[in-house]
Amino acid sequence: MPLKYRVLTIVALCLVSIWALFPRNVTTREIGSDRLMHDVTVRHIPLRQGLDLKGGTYLALEVDDSKQAIPADKKADAISRALKTVRSRIEGFGVSESVVQTQGADRIVVQIPGIQDPERARKLVESQAFLEFKIADKTQALERALPRIDQVIKQRGLVPLGDTAGKTATTATKGLQGLLNTDTSKKSDTAKKSDSTKKGVAAAKKDSAAAADSLKLQPGGAFSSLIEQGGMAGEFYVETGKIPTLQRYLADSAVKAAMPPGKDFLAGSDSASLQGKWYKTYYVVDNKAIATGEHLVDARPNQNTLDGTVVEFSMDNIGGRRFRTETGKHIGDYMAIILDNRVMGRPPVIQGAIGTRGQITMGGKSLADAQDLALVLRAGALPVPLRVAEVHSIGPSLGQDSIDKGLRAAIISVALVVIIMLVYYRFSGLLAVGGLTLYMLYTLAALAGFDAVLTLPGIAGFVLSIGIAVDANVLIFERIREELARGKTVRTSIDEGFRHAMPAIVDSNVSTILTAAVLYQYGTGPVKGFAVTLIAGIAASLVTSIFVVRTFYLLWLNRSRGAQTLSI
Amino acid sequence: MLRILHDTKYDFIKYWKTAALGTIAFIVLGMAILGVHAMRHTSALNYSVEFTGGTVVQLTFTKPPGADAVRSGVDAAGFSGAEVAQFGDPLNYMIKVQPKEGVMAAANADSLGRQLAQLIEQRVGGGNKVTVGQATSVGPRVGSELKTKAITAILISFVVTLIYLAIRFEWRFGVAATIATMHDIATTMAFLAMMRLEISLTVVAAILTVIGYSLNDTIIIFDRVRENLRKQRKESLRDVLNRSINETLPRSVLTHATVLAATLALLLFAGEVIRPFSWIMAFGVFTGTFSSIYVAGAILLWIEHKWPRTPESESKGTARALAEGRRRERPTPVTTR
Repeated sequence: MPLKYRVLTIVALCLVSIWALFPRNVTTREIGSDRLMHDVTVRHIPLRQGLDLKGGTYLALEVDDSKQAIPADKKADAISRALKTVRSRIEGFGVSESVVQTQGADRIVVQIPGIQDPERARKLVESQAFLEFKIADKTQALERALPRIDQVIKQRGLVPLGDTAGKTATTATKGLQGLLNTDTSKKSDTAKKSDSTKKGVAAAKKDSAAAADSLKLQPGGAFSSLIEQGGMAGEFYVETGKIPTLQRYLADSAVKAAMPPGKDFLAGSDSASLQGKWYKTYYVVDNKAIATGEHLVDARPNQNTLDGTVVEFSMDNIGGRRFRTETGKHIGDYMAIILDNRVMGRPPVIQGAIGTRGQITMGGKSLADAQDLALVLRAGALPVPLRVAEVHSIGPSLGQDSIDKGLRAAIISVALVVIIMLVYYRFSGLLAVGGLTLYMLYTLAALAGFDAVLTLPGIAGFVLSIGIAVDANVLIFERIREELARGKTVRTSIDEGFRHAMPAIVDSNVSTILTAAVLYQYGTGPVKGFAVTLIAGIAASLVTSIFVVRTFYLLWLNRSRGAQTLSI
Repeated sequence: MLRILHDTKYDFIKYWKTAALGTIAFIVLGMAILGVHAMRHTSALNYSVEFTGGTVVQLTFTKPPGADAVRSGVDAAGFSGAEVAQFGDPLNYMIKVQPKEGVMAAANADSLGRQLAQLIEQRVGGGNKVTVGQATSVGPRVGSELKTKAITAILISFVVTLIYLAIRFEWRFGVAATIATMHDIATTMAFLAMMRLEISLTVVAAILTVIGYSLNDTIIIFDRVRENLRKQRKESLRDVLNRSINETLPRSVLTHATVLAATLALLLFAGEVIRPFSWIMAFGVFTGTFSSIYVAGAILLWIEHKWPRTPESESKGTARALAEGRRRERPTPVTTR
C-alpha cells in the first residue's frame, strides 16, 4: 500500500473514531420530581455504562412454580409471552435506557439504571395483575362449615404457630428476620394502615366494633377462634398475629376439603384497628368470577374525597356487555374486586347493572401505588406468576466511585507504560506511544460503535489491555534490533522485523481472542462487558501495532532518507 | 540503545528439577490449605453469593463504626450466622447472609439492605450515616447453574485453544502448552486458597485471562523454537529451547513489566470491587512466565525424549508451519535508497 493511502486510512479511522465518540444529544422520557413524564435531553459521550457504574437495579425473573407445577416446555413459552407484559410495565415506569430481555429459555432479565426505589420496581414486575370480579358470599357458607373445619383441625392435630407476625411493628428484630420468611407487601400494608384517618378503614372500624359486640362466633374451635365476623356478610376479621396460624390451617389438604364448596376464602387489602389490636380482613367469595380483567382497555389513577385513592378502569364493548349482564343478575349483592387473589378494598354493593366503567378503591394507599396498579392493569396480566431469582442493586455513589477509581488506574497504567516504552526504546518507543494513543481512541470508538456496555470489569480489562497492547510493539522492536545487530540496513531491518514478528503476534492474539469469545458467550452482565473490551482492545492493538506504527516508521524513513541509525 | 538481558546464554532448562519441586510444593501447600478450609468452612473454596445463592449487602458509613458495632447490629437483626467483613477501608462493610432453607431470599435484598442499614445506624449512633452501597441476592438455583456455566466456560476455552494450537503447531507443542495451562489453573487455585479470595464471576474471568496470557507467552517462545528448529537442524532440542528462551528474554521482561505495571495500577488504585481480579492477574503474570519456561518447555523436552521426532512426522505435523517458513526464507528484496 502506498504511503499516501496508509496515512489516509489512519486519518480516516481517527475521524470515524472521533465521530463515534463525539458527544451527542440523547432524548429520553423520564418521570420528573412532579411525577409527570418529561422529555429530558442530555448531551453525553455515546458510551453506555453498565449498571455497576451507573447504579441501578438488576432483576432476574423466573417462572414461580411453587404453587403449581408448570412443565418445562410450557415455561419457555410462558416466559416469552410474559416478556411483552414485563417490558410494557417497565417502559411505563418511565426510566430511560431500561433493558428487558430473556436470558436462556426460562428467565427474564430486567435492568433499570439509576432507579431510586428498587422495591417498587420489583413489585411492579412481580405482580401478576390478574383481575377478577367475584360475588361475596351471603349464605353464611363459612359459618355453617365451621364445626366441620374445627373438627378436622383437631383430628389432624394441627397446632397454632407462635404469635410472630403480630410483633413485626414493635420488635424490629423479628420483623427483619421475618422479611426473609414472609411476604413483605403484607408488612408494608400494616405500616401504612397506621394512619387510620382514611375513610374506608374508619368505616370498617365502626362496623367491626359493632360486630364484636353482637356477632360473636361460638368459641372453642381452633379455626373459629381465629376469625371474627365482620361488618357485612362474608366478611371476617383476623388478628394480624394469628394470620400465620390461619395460613397454616388453610394450607392443609384436609382443611381445604372441609372449606365450603364453591367458595374461596381470600385475604383483603384492608386492615383495621380494634381495641388496640390490628385486624386484617378476609372475605368468603364465590370461586367463579363473573368477569376478569381480560377485557380491560384502560386504567387511570385518581383521588377523590369519598374513596381516597382509586384506580378507574374501563372495559371494551364485549367485556362491558358481559359485565352488564352479570352485574344485572346480582343487584344488591356485594362484588369483590380481586387482584392476584387479594380482595381490593371493601366489596361495594351492586346498585344497578354496571357497564364498561368501574373503579378499584385502594384505601390508604398513596397515589404512586395507584399509578403502579393502573400501569400494571394496562399492561395486562402475566400468563404465569413470576418470582425474582436474582437481584443486584448498586447505589449511584458506588458506581461513580468505581468510575473515578477505574479512570485513575487507567491514567496511572498509561503513564507507567509510556515511561517504560520511552526509556527503553527512545524514538521507536515514541512511535509506539503514538500508536498507543490511537489504540485507546480506536478501542473506545469500537465500544461506542458496537453499542457495548462499559462495566467495571470492562474498565479493568481496558486498563489491562493497555499493558498487553504494547506486547506486539515489543515483539516487533526486538526483531528489528536483532536484524540491526546482524548488520542490515535500517530500512531492511524494519521490514524484516515486522515480517518476522507476525506469526508470533497473530498466534498469541488469536488465542486470547478465542478465550475472550468463550467468556462473551458464557458470561453475564459485567463479565460480558469485560470480554467485549478485551476483544475490542486486541483488535485495536493489532491494527495500531502492525499498521499504524509501521506507517509511522515509513513516514520517518521518508523524511530522513539516508538514516544510518535507528533509535530503538 | 538501552538493552537488558541482551544476548544472554542462561541455561534455563538446567534448573527444571528445582523449578518442578518448587511449583509442586506450592500446589500441594495450596491444596492442603484448601483441605483446611473444607474442614473449617462449609466449602473448600470461598464462593461468592453469585454461586452459592444468598444475600450480600455492602454498607457505607460516614464514620468508622468498628467491626464489633456492625456485628452486634447484624446479630440484633437476627442474622447471627452472617459473615461480617470490612470491605477495603474502615468505612465499608460487607454483610453476607446465607440463604435459609426453602426461603427465597432474592426478593428482599434491597429492603433487607435498607432495614439493616437503619438498624445498624441506630445501634452505632453518633450521627453516623449508613447507606447501602450495593445489595445482591441470588436464589440457590441460579447459583448452581452459574457454577456449571463457569466450569463449562473454562473447559470450552481450554478445548478451543487446544484445537487452535494443534492447527498452528505440531501436537507436541499443543500438549506441552495445554499442560502448562493446567499448571496455571492449579497454581492459581492454590493462590486463591492461600489468599482466601472470593470466587466471583469476575474472578473466573480473571482466571480465563490468566490462561490466555500464559498461553500467549508460551506461544511466543514456541514460535521461536519452531523457527530455530528449522534453521538449526543439528542442535539438540534442549539447546534450541534454551536459545529460544534467551532470545525472547528481552521481550518477556518488557511485556511482563508493562502488564505488571497495568496490573499494579489496578491493584493499588482501582478500588476494592476489582481487587480480587487484580490479585489474580498479578499472580498470573508470574505463574504464566514460569510455566512457559519450566512447564511448557520441560514437558516439550520430555515428550521429545519419549516420542522423538522423525523427519516424516515433522513434515506431516507441521506442514503449515513449514509452508510459512518457506515464505519467510525467501530472499528479501533489496531496498534501494
